[in-house]
Amino acid sequence: MSGDDHSEQLNLLQTITLEVAAATDLSSALEIVLRRVCEKTGWVIGQAWVPNKEEAVLNFVSGWYCDDGELKPFKAVSEKSHFEPGIGLPGRVWKSKQPAWLENVTNDPNFPRATAARTAGLKTGVGIPILARSKVIAVLEFFMRESRSQNEQLVKVIAAVAAQLGLVMERKGATEELSRINEILHSILSDMGDAVIVADKDENFLVFNPAAERMFGAGATKRNASEWLHRYGLYLPDKVTPFPHEQLPLIRSIHGEEVNNVEVFVRHEKAPHGIWTRITGRPLRDSNGELLGGVIVCRDITEVKEEEVFRAGQSRVLEMIAADAPLADVLTSLVILMEGQAEGLRCSILLLNRDGKHVRHGAAPNLPEAYVKAVDGSPIGPRNGSCGTAMYTRKPVVVTNVMTDPLWTDYRELAQICGLRACWSTPIVSWQGDVLGSFAMYRQETRGPQPEETRLTEIATHIAGIAIDRQRQQEVLRERDARINLAAESADLAFWVLYPEQGTAWMSDKGRRIYGFDSNLPLTCDLILSRVHPDERVAVKAEYDRACALHDAFESEHRLLLPYGKTRWVIMRGRCLQDEHGNLLETIGVTLDVSPQKQAALQVQVQREEMAHRNRVALMGEMTASFAHEINQPLTAISNKASAARRFLDRGNIDPVLLRELLQEIAADSQRAGEVMRGIRSLVRKETSEQTLLNLNAIISDTVRLVSSDVLNRESVVTTELDPNVPAVQGTLVQIQQVLLNLIINALDAMETLPPAERRVIVTTRSDKGDVAEFTVRDFGSGLPKDRPDKVFDHFFSTKQKGMGMGLAIVRSIIEAHGGTISGENAPDRGARMVVRLPAARGEIQKSKAAA
Amino acid sequence: MIESSQAEANEVCVVDDDPSVLKSIHYLLASEGFKVRPFNKAADFLAHAGTHHVPIVVTDIWMDEVTGLELLARLCAISPRTKVIVITAREDLAARATAMAIGPVAFFMKPFDDEKFIAAVRDALSRA
Repeated sequence: MSGDDHSEQLNLLQTITLEVAAATDLSSALEIVLRRVCEKTGWVIGQAWVPNKEEAVLNFVSGWYCDDGELKPFKAVSEKSHFEPGIGLPGRVWKSKQPAWLENVTNDPNFPRATAARTAGLKTGVGIPILARSKVIAVLEFFMRESRSQNEQLVKVIAAVAAQLGLVMERKGATEELSRINEILHSILSDMGDAVIVADKDENFLVFNPAAERMFGAGATKRNASEWLHRYGLYLPDKVTPFPHEQLPLIRSIHGEEVNNVEVFVRHEKAPHGIWTRITGRPLRDSNGELLGGVIVCRDITEVKEEEVFRAGQSRVLEMIAADAPLADVLTSLVILMEGQAEGLRCSILLLNRDGKHVRHGAAPNLPEAYVKAVDGSPIGPRNGSCGTAMYTRKPVVVTNVMTDPLWTDYRELAQICGLRACWSTPIVSWQGDVLGSFAMYRQETRGPQPEETRLTEIATHIAGIAIDRQRQQEVLRERDARINLAAESADLAFWVLYPEQGTAWMSDKGRRIYGFDSNLPLTCDLILSRVHPDERVAVKAEYDRACALHDAFESEHRLLLPYGKTRWVIMRGRCLQDEHGNLLETIGVTLDVSPQKQAALQVQVQREEMAHRNRVALMGEMTASFAHEINQPLTAISNKASAARRFLDRGNIDPVLLRELLQEIAADSQRAGEVMRGIRSLVRKETSEQTLLNLNAIISDTVRLVSSDVLNRESVVTTELDPNVPAVQGTLVQIQQVLLNLIINALDAMETLPPAERRVIVTTRSDKGDVAEFTVRDFGSGLPKDRPDKVFDHFFSTKQKGMGMGLAIVRSIIEAHGGTISGENAPDRGARMVVRLPAARGEIQKSKAAA
Repeated sequence: MIESSQAEANEVCVVDDDPSVLKSIHYLLASEGFKVRPFNKAADFLAHAGTHHVPIVVTDIWMDEVTGLELLARLCAISPRTKVIVITAREDLAARATAMAIGPVAFFMKPFDDEKFIAAVRDALSRA
């Protein structure tokens, strides 16, 4: 390359640089480059391509052609062409970001426009990328008619031009962007509601946007930062303590700290009520991290803050309601809360009396006492001030001037004295729609409510409604409770309600005493169940669960085991309530303390058992004693006589006659003992001395009663079928009872192995032709020995494990001593039947026969 | 007027309304060489006691006409120094307690051990 060429190229570079710098946009800059390069370096065509927005294809943007009509078709083809990365000459330059030189475009395999190029007589082509921030922003291509090998110098020149163009474009874009961003920032800062302040590290303000001026009441100052507190009125959240200077968010940001959500209270001449602001700050640093200053953004949160405080106040009032604070306290707190929401506002709450015709004082902590007293008890009506009228008409009443409004005729003078001018009253309505009272706002100037005051009224009437409603409901509940308790107290009844779903329970005071619960212990179903005696708990629970499952009624008699081991007998009756869908809602019921009755019944039972026991013991004891005496006499005689005989023999002087006599007597004594054993007739004979006229039916009834506890214990039943015409018999009461007892106990013993339902004993009486009284004891046991039913009357015969075998032997002795008979037989189906027949007493025979 | 004799000094009176028992005690005491005066009825014995020295009596306390207890009570009045041995066929605690209160020297349940019975009689006689 010659020196001329070189200077020519430098010249070109300079020209292009200057012209491009003057160009207003990329396409005009490209046009300039294309033309200059072609003119100066002998290319016949120069075309420029730029990527589309999506960076998917290159599109033709401009071209330069030497004045030759033959080039027009190629231009037309190029204008319609789009090249994807790697396709054609522009595409491969775009993709590689490197220049490309083609010696002959007409035979290049990757040159889609080859036909058009041939027509135009083009041979050599070169493509050069224009890079800005290492991105291809355009591709330039040049063509000539001669086939020429790559000229490095030429490529370098064009590349240098392209690079220059890229740099220029880059700078141009950057400057444009910066100024645009500046504009945007400025507009944002001016328009934004948040205050933005930027200061350098020497505490000089760089930015102080209009919002900041409004918020802090003054613009940027060059004064020392120590004066900011005073100038801008900065306080701690307590609203009175000046904000510590070194703690100010901007100062902390300037010192390199990130500051988040610091609340500052601002008060100055232009904002006498104060502004709440929440500030976020960040330090500003250069690209090396060097601290330049700080920026803060301050958001006005006054409304949020006030709403927050207001809401907290509402929550407090609602909490008071929930905690069942006295209504007067709740309403007073509510009124004070409302009054705090607006300057010069006075509020009051009046209650509607239960009679629905008069008002009662509710709360008016800041109204003159005289006024409050005058209003208390006054009637409601269509012209009764704001409140009386609001309650009467059930609609809000707005009186903007009490001095002129006809509703206030009766109260005007009073209002004037108290300095009240406007009064707006709204009825407080329960959720069922009943008027409960009214909420009123008073002002000392004549005007109607502003939207904010209307909103406050809505909130106040809502909360007051909840409070009054709740108090009313609790009064109703208390009254109901009191009534139920009164009824329960007088009936010795516990009332209770169980809520199976939640497991909770309610119980009347009396109930709590019966169950041994403290009056304020929260009750649960489990807790109540835990009072049931452990022995019966499972059964009671099962009965309760059954009732719950079937939505049925239930009843249970059981014991309670109270703390300290005390027990009570109770009867619990309840039933399940369900909603309209059949879901179990609750179980309600009563518990009756039956301990006293039960105790009495138990005592009777114990007495009866004791008596029966004593009777039986006495009877048996008497029998045994007599029997022992009878049997011991011959035994003693035998023993003594045998001893005597041995002694005589020992002494060797035994008289054989005496010895024979002794032995004979011993044999006789043994016979006698046997006699006793067989029948103890002598005993019976001896003790029948007290013979009386006996009514068998009465004896049977008495005896059955006597054994009833035994019968219950054995889970058996004894029934009687008594013939009223059975004749009286002559005999000894105790002995006949003894016979009955024996037979019944035997019958019960015989059925011990049967299921309880089958354990039945039937005692019947019958008159046989009037001269015989017959009674039968029948059981359903295994019966008598089949071969010889009589055997049971033998001595020492027993089917019982522990039996002596004396019972029926004695029974037969007694019956026979009474001139009667006893026989045993098996009943047709099963079991044994003992039949006793006694002769009717003499006078009775005639009586009975006469009756027959 | 009490007839006193050497014979009576060793005589054992026995009272029992059961003839066989009465006889058996008679034989038993006789086999040991005691002189025995049996009484089938309490009244007979009391009559005897009223006119004779009775060092010792063996009596049942469960008799038909006059009970043993009654007998003991009367005997106390007639002959307070007579030693009493009670025999009974009934385990009657009340009777037994009463008898003991009156003060027999021994108490036997029928049927009784012959050795102990004879020892008791001998002992009572020696102290009479």
